[in-house]
Amino acid sequence: MGSYKRRVGAMAVFALLATALLCWYWHKKSESAAPLRVVLIQKAVDDTDFWTCVHQGGQMAAKELGVELTVMGPGQESEAALQHQMILDAIEERPDAIALTPSSFEETIPYAQKIEEAGITLVLMDSTMEQDMGESLIATDNFEAGYKMGSYMKRFVDEDTVIGVVGHVKGTSTATERERGFREGLGEAQEQIAEVVFCDSSPDKAYELTCGLLKTWPDMNLIVGLNEYSAVGAARAVKDSGRSDQCHMAGFDSSIEEIQLLEEGVFDAIVIQKPFNMGYLGIETAVQAARGKVVEPYVDSGSELITKENMYTEENQKLLFPFFGKNKKGL
Amino acid sequence: MKKSLLTRFRSIRTSIIFSFALLIVFALLIFLLLSLRFTRETVLENSTEYTSQLIGQVNNDIDSYIGYLENISLIVAGNSDVRDYLSGQEFSQERQEELRNRITGVFKTITDTRNDIINIALLSRKEEPLINRGSARLNPYIQVSELSWYQEAVEAEGKTVISSSHVQNAIHGSYDWVVTLSRSMDKPEEPEGGGIFFVDLNYSVISDLCERLSLGNRGYIYILDGRGGIVYHPQQQLIYSGLKQELISEVMESKKTSFLTGDGRLYTISRSEETGWIVVGVSMVSELMRRADAARGIYLLIALALFLAALALAYLLSNEITKPIKALERSMKEVEKGNFAHAALAVREENEIGHLSRNFNMMTEEIQNLIEQRDREQQIKRKSELKALQSQINPHFLYNTLDSIIWMAEWGKNQEVVRMTSSLAKLLRRSISNEQEVVTVAEEVEYTETYLTIQKMRYKDKLEYEVLVEPEIMQERVIKLLLQPLVENAIYHGIKYKEGKGLLRILGFRKGDEMILKVQDDGKGMDSDTLAHIFEKHTRDTRSNGVGLNNVNERIQIYYGEEYGLSFRSEPEKGTEAMITLPLGKEEGSNGEL
Repeated sequence: MGSYKRRVGAMAVFALLATALLCWYWHKKSESAAPLRVVLIQKAVDDTDFWTCVHQGGQMAAKELGVELTVMGPGQESEAALQHQMILDAIEERPDAIALTPSSFEETIPYAQKIEEAGITLVLMDSTMEQDMGESLIATDNFEAGYKMGSYMKRFVDEDTVIGVVGHVKGTSTATERERGFREGLGEAQEQIAEVVFCDSSPDKAYELTCGLLKTWPDMNLIVGLNEYSAVGAARAVKDSGRSDQCHMAGFDSSIEEIQLLEEGVFDAIVIQKPFNMGYLGIETAVQAARGKVVEPYVDSGSELITKENMYTEENQKLLFPFFGKNKKGL
Repeated sequence: MKKSLLTRFRSIRTSIIFSFALLIVFALLIFLLLSLRFTRETVLENSTEYTSQLIGQVNNDIDSYIGYLENISLIVAGNSDVRDYLSGQEFSQERQEELRNRITGVFKTITDTRNDIINIALLSRKEEPLINRGSARLNPYIQVSELSWYQEAVEAEGKTVISSSHVQNAIHGSYDWVVTLSRSMDKPEEPEGGGIFFVDLNYSVISDLCERLSLGNRGYIYILDGRGGIVYHPQQQLIYSGLKQELISEVMESKKTSFLTGDGRLYTISRSEETGWIVVGVSMVSELMRRADAARGIYLLIALALFLAALALAYLLSNEITKPIKALERSMKEVEKGNFAHAALAVREENEIGHLSRNFNMMTEEIQNLIEQRDREQQIKRKSELKALQSQINPHFLYNTLDSIIWMAEWGKNQEVVRMTSSLAKLLRRSISNEQEVVTVAEEVEYTETYLTIQKMRYKDKLEYEVLVEPEIMQERVIKLLLQPLVENAIYHGIKYKEGKGLLRILGFRKGDEMILKVQDDGKGMDSDTLAHIFEKHTRDTRSNGVGLNNVNERIQIYYGEEYGLSFRSEPEKGTEAMITLPLGKEEGSNGEL
């Protein structure tokens, strides 16, 4: 009788074990069925190559890592208030991680703080804020980008060279870092920088400022623009003044106009960012941080110096012309 | 000593169940492993097959696009206007205009019917280039003749050349991702003329083709050109930035159409003879195995169910197998207790246990026989021993009696001498005539009286006796020499020590089914302690007739059974009563002659 009870007991234990095994199995299955949810809040969701590339890079990472990605952002970069509202909306959805490209250096801080307070993993992309926040920052190393420009442009410098710099917004981290990098790249030649002006990201203002520079410094023969608007405005001014043969130029970022100016020879070089990589690395880092892995506090998404000679290499044409579905004709 | 795995269990049944379980688990494990392996291989095979078909289709589609471009190039090459335009002759203004219009008309028709054609152009060495509808211009900042598709076309001398995917920067203001088919129109006989024809296929048709196909959630397709350059890859930018690696040389060098990588990717390769391009499908084995995982779950469940069923079966089987063993065990326990009556086993099996049971039955039977035989022999031995004892006349008694006779003779008491001698003679005759085992009560009483006569003459005034036996029992048969030893005991241990005359009474009566014989004396009596050991110390009394009380009791019990026998009641200074209980009407006991 006793042994019978033992047997029944053993069977019961076995059945229990089997059930546990099955439960574990189904549990494991259901666990893998619920992917992480990540929200990418961009400065803008528009049709610019930059933000479309960030978006696509993010989605590539999401697909590869098996996470659910929602991308949001205002229609224009200037709509910071709208982005802030979107941050609040995103917090309501309780995602596992939020990747944020802050619209404002100062005003976005309290909203980013709300993300962290809600216990949601935060990574910053593209730009910094006044306060150091988030698990990681994924952005172009602007100093490095400026340095690349400076060290390339140094070859056109001799003792008579007069250098002008057209910045975009005075005091912004990108402008400051790029200028610092540019100066560092030039080395001793940085002494020959005659003037730095800021166009507030307006091509027209850049045009006027450049015209002014050329007037003030008749010998000015090296001008760089620190973002797309400054660079294009400056290039137009130089071209219109008919001094593009004497004046060496370099710019930041790419647009069709910039590319054509590069082909034309107005620009000697342009430095471009890698927004696809930024999006990809941003989401990858966000997912890793949300999964509790230790992430690098700063990830450089990279930049590339493009000249007329290398613009159509296999690698660079993909950077300059990231999309093939759209037909980028003219201006 | 180390116990073997199976003997460690306390019962054979557990051992059997355990062995079964072990066997089953072993068999199931092998089955599981094999079927999982098989499933995995099958899934991989099917996936490879499926992916091969998919990417083969991609290659076919690409081939058909390229074939279409080839057709266009053939049409253009065969067009007489084109031939004229490239002939290198001098044309009149009108003729030139006419040719130009007609050729661009053809181009227009082509681009109108197919919107996947981005550019179609004829670059004459001598005349103006004709592009699309005629309005587009060449990019003024680009040397078209330095572009790779142009140079390759020149080198190919009239064969068509397919470029990799690239941005077409030859046309002013347009930067489209295309695949270019170019062809030299040079003719050796017209050194002045000639030119290059090219047509651009919208790259998106190829990328769409690749993106549309799904190889699981994380699988993807990429395309390499014949030199290993990437035509299409979803992560092209990441690869160029060094963030991702892709197997390019491995794919280029692979002779097989599919291979597995160490990190669980299945590469399936399809080469196009037409373009030299390689379409590669990359599937994640973990995703493919999701179906195999489901199968694994089902296998596990089945294995579990099988295991439980087999365990239950093992339980039942072990019961069946061990049932006769258990019966044997029970039977052995009975035998251990000396209970042979229920020991015999019903043997149904013809196996080892059947043999064992049969042997066991034989053995118990043998033991039973031996025990019975031993008992019988013991009894016979005891009986003969008792017989030997009872047949003896104590020499002391004989001497004393003879001594008394001598004295009586000397004193001239002839009467007494005669009586005593005749009594002694009677006693001796009874002793000698040993054949008769059983006598009537009357005979036994008579014999005892003979003895009493002698003793009364010896002790004269000390002994008085009376015999009060009911006549109805006088003819009952009893074993002989029952009363005499009791009387002897009463005289020597009771009356002899009494001051004055002692009375000895012999009583006999019937009580229900039993017959009671009593010998009472009013002698010294015994205390309870002496009474308790009465059977022990009287085994052999030198002065007695030699037949001790124990002898009497034993004989009664051997002959009539344990429930009968001799008992004593005594009170010190008052006297003793010995009582014999015997069955009535018991003829010739089953235990045989005494």
